[in-house]
Amino acid sequence: MKIVMVYFKKGLVTVAAWGLGLLIFVPILWTVLTSFKTEEEAVAPNLHILNFSWTLENYIEVQARSDYFHHFWNSVVISFGSTAIGLVIAVMAAWAMAFFPRRNTKDILSWMLSTKMMPAVGALIPIFLIFRDLNLLDSKMGLIIIMVLINLPIMVWMLYSYFKEIPLAILEASRMDGAGLWSEVTLILAPMALPGLFSTGLLNLILVWNEAFWTLNLTAADAAPLSAFIASYSSPEELFYAKLSAASTLAIAPILIIGWFSQKQLVRGLTFGAVK
Amino acid sequence: MKSSTHPYRPTRLRQGFERLIPKIVLSPSLVLMLVFVYGFIAYSLYLSFTDSTILPSYNLVGWRNYAKLWQLPHWWQAFRNLLIFSGLYISITTLLGLTLAIFLDQKIRGEGFLRPIYLYPMALSFIVTGTAWKWFLDPGIGLEHLMQQWGWSSFSFTWIKDSDMAIYTVVIAAVWQSSGFVMAMFLAGLRGVDGEIIKAAEIDGASTLTIYRRIILPMMRPVFLSSFVILAHLAIKSYDLIIALTGGGPGQATEMPATFMYSYSFTRNSMGVGAASAIIMMIMVFSIIIPYLYAEGRKESRE
Repeated sequence: MKIVMVYFKKGLVTVAAWGLGLLIFVPILWTVLTSFKTEEEAVAPNLHILNFSWTLENYIEVQARSDYFHHFWNSVVISFGSTAIGLVIAVMAAWAMAFFPRRNTKDILSWMLSTKMMPAVGALIPIFLIFRDLNLLDSKMGLIIIMVLINLPIMVWMLYSYFKEIPLAILEASRMDGAGLWSEVTLILAPMALPGLFSTGLLNLILVWNEAFWTLNLTAADAAPLSAFIASYSSPEELFYAKLSAASTLAIAPILIIGWFSQKQLVRGLTFGAVK
Repeated sequence: MKSSTHPYRPTRLRQGFERLIPKIVLSPSLVLMLVFVYGFIAYSLYLSFTDSTILPSYNLVGWRNYAKLWQLPHWWQAFRNLLIFSGLYISITTLLGLTLAIFLDQKIRGEGFLRPIYLYPMALSFIVTGTAWKWFLDPGIGLEHLMQQWGWSSFSFTWIKDSDMAIYTVVIAAVWQSSGFVMAMFLAGLRGVDGEIIKAAEIDGASTLTIYRRIILPMMRPVFLSSFVILAHLAIKSYDLIIALTGGGPGQATEMPATFMYSYSFTRNSMGVGAASAIIMMIMVFSIIIPYLYAEGRKESRE
């Protein structure tokens, strides 16, 4: 009897967990499915979940009307550009703090993390004014600079925590064997740090891809990445349900794929290391 | 420690140079963050004491912008919305996240599949999810429409158009976005609980409920604390979700400090007032993270 109860309880929990999972996934699934419907079918009285006539016309329309690939390309340039630059700067900082720790290293780290929690609005006015004067408004370069600045603390922190996992004994052994700093870094550290670098880069790509505060406020048409593109789509075209879904699906598709493989990095980064 | 890191003997010049390298390579990050954080905040702080309107002005006017800010019903609305929103958002998300984590911790079937699903909303841009929710909650095309088509003709769900209820739709979308992420934090905490203690309690005849209430949850205090800090600072910063979901409306019903700040600085041409509101937001975030960092620092020095 007791065993039956245990199985019953477990079954109940499983059903509830899957039910909640479905509930959470519905808005995403809904968006993706709607993007393949015609406008009439998207608001049709009788709901067809899968048995509608699939169409790509929304995607073609979105591309034709607002040049999706232009914004997609902007997103790619901004996220990869800022990740590359950010990694170079952050790797140096993290390397220095992880392998040459000083008394105040921990304090510097927590201070860096605290800066990531600051509301971006605190810096919006000065940055807007500086960008206006330097002609950086609505430019990809300007956004890359901003993205590096806002995500640098999290990159340094992530890399630091990965570097910390590299056993110092290996480094000491190499120094015993007479390896200089340069060969120590290139031959021993680099291969061991690669997974950490990769994870940090991945997290940063996602963060930048999703960033909307700065992209909305600093870009217009030219440099607007996908996040700003979606925002512009959502207001004046409210009646075009299916096309908006297509635009949204295109914007989240890369993240849906990357997100599946990078949940660990995502959680680690977004919790500021509270979860490893 | 320091001396043992350099057991090899290069020339003295080279040694001195290599000792400097860590400092040199650390400095770009430090300088960038110092400028970005303090430089720009100092500039905002300065502007908040000037009579800047559409353009920045350097004419100091004392506390006038702050006085004006707290007389604006618009700001009070934003402030009240922030209190309602953050209170509900933090408590519901924590509760739901904890529930999901406890579910997953039962080693149920398909955990590896469910976890990423729970986490997906957090990985997606607020702009996209906000847009999706906007039409899902829209009475004419979304949930209400659907329910009525299915035969429940009296079903009504017009919160997003109702100025008294619209703020709760923001809560719904935000809870949906972050629950899975809080779940991940709690799940890590639950997995870290020593199984021996639970076994001992089971042998002593404690029920599952008692074990959770008396043993597991108290051990999760640090997780509660960090999830609170993370959710609270997300709540104060919330901007994109509002823009995508309601645009601050109907009227000013879902205006939040960040959207208020933007509209005063750039569309209503009162940069001074906008800067003052930004500084108030900074103070709010500071008052949450400084005690937290202090507590974390103390914990580390005890260890």
